[in-house]
Amino acid sequence: MSAATKLHKTSWCALRQLQQYRTKANFSGSSASIAKRNDLFNQEQRRQRDAVGRIDKIEVRYLGLPEDVTLVMNGNISTPFNCAQHLSEGHCKRSALALIDGSVPWDMHRPLQESCTLQLLNFHVSEPHVVNKAFWRTCSFMLGAALNRAFKPEANLQLHSFPGPNIKSGSFVHDIVLQTQNWEPAKEEMRALSAEMVKLAAQDLRIERLDVQQDLAQEMFKDSKYKSEQLPSIAQQTNGRVTLYRLGDHIDISRGPMVASTSFLGKCVISAAHKVAEEGPSGAFYRIQGVALPSGFQLNHVAFGVLEERSKKPSPARLPNEPFEEQQQLQLS
Amino acid sequence: MNQADVTKLMSQLRIAVRPNKRHLKNADGPEGRLLKLRKTVTALVKHERIELFYNRADEARGYAELLISNAIRHGDRHQATMELADYWLLEKQLVHKLFKVLVPRYENYNVSYTRMYKAPREYPGIYYRRSVLELRGNPYPSLAADQSQNRNLLHNVLLDEARKEFRRQKLSELVH
Repeated sequence: MSAATKLHKTSWCALRQLQQYRTKANFSGSSASIAKRNDLFNQEQRRQRDAVGRIDKIEVRYLGLPEDVTLVMNGNISTPFNCAQHLSEGHCKRSALALIDGSVPWDMHRPLQESCTLQLLNFHVSEPHVVNKAFWRTCSFMLGAALNRAFKPEANLQLHSFPGPNIKSGSFVHDIVLQTQNWEPAKEEMRALSAEMVKLAAQDLRIERLDVQQDLAQEMFKDSKYKSEQLPSIAQQTNGRVTLYRLGDHIDISRGPMVASTSFLGKCVISAAHKVAEEGPSGAFYRIQGVALPSGFQLNHVAFGVLEERSKKPSPARLPNEPFEEQQQLQLS
Repeated sequence: MNQADVTKLMSQLRIAVRPNKRHLKNADGPEGRLLKLRKTVTALVKHERIELFYNRADEARGYAELLISNAIRHGDRHQATMELADYWLLEKQLVHKLFKVLVPRYENYNVSYTRMYKAPREYPGIYYRRSVLELRGNPYPSLAADQSQNRNLLHNVLLDEARKEFRRQKLSELVH
């Protein structure tokens, strides 16, 4: 037993060293800015954790299987995931999203602030709209991370944004800017992107959430032209706070909520990349689209082929070159 | 070319039999091992769903399939089949169940007569794989969740929208 643990430990350490070595070797240009961004994220996370101070106890009323129970947890520290840990391993593995007070969707790894009721949602509940939406949003976010990993620095990839999740459109979307105006992806290239998504899912990375002040977000995204342009209008809507999500070393702005981990991604295909508009003298906006199912969903490959074909059609979501504010006023009026 | 097709002379199993070792050794030797398998086949025909160790279920499954398939092929007037049923079914009233209940149920099946699921291991407990073995068409509630009825599940939402779009497209083709 102990020998096996030791062996496991040493191999794990070796892997860790290898990863550190790889990240060190990759540091140059954009990687340096990613490292800086992660440092700031870590610092802010630690600061918020330290700022909790004296620990308050809160009562969380869990509603659901196997029975309704009341858990006494730590305010601003305990997360719905910690509550699930008190229930069973199955709850920890299956729960993608939490529902607070029967109506507010809450990330599994976001600390609870006060006494509340708690429901844990998976993809098989009778009314899965909320968790489906969170899954679709997570897919867009993961696509950003996969694109970051897939492209070489020479391609000069810049992530622009992803529109709100719309499952009925048949595809999740991420908009990017590339320094080329005539990229027509080959089948193999799209397959490589899908493989990156599958790799992310296999790594079972925890998706972390952090609310930060606007000036810190500006500092973190100062190297990204498009993100720093978007930040003021985002912060204006939410009283100067910006919600960030992190997956591995990839950080992006999103309103949330998202599912607990990348392992909830099952079958996934990145199906199409459409050129949307030209940007600057030599760049262009591209819209990457894909379709995915949560893990554990089994679908006949013919039926999935139909979904895949449909996901190639250009998505009707707001385009990245259209102004953000005007669209909102249109929706309001 | 005028020879009889030999494969048609005996029942063909509708399940894949893997050449894995089952490790079903018994203190009483081969007889003891067979007695255990006979008990399992009897329990399967009697209860229609049983939970047991994976290897024993996997081994007994083949014998249960063969018994039912021979019963369907030859009926209850065939001496060899009767002897087979007498050997595998330790409780003799189950011979009637085999010919009067199971044969009519499975006559028109073109899939296997039994189903096997992997079951969770107990913790802490004996660290052997467990499984559930059942006869198809049993009266108990299904073990696998039905994902086709709830139209709100993600794949059903996607499929419904795809169907709507297809119909819209066909309609517009008709109009033009």
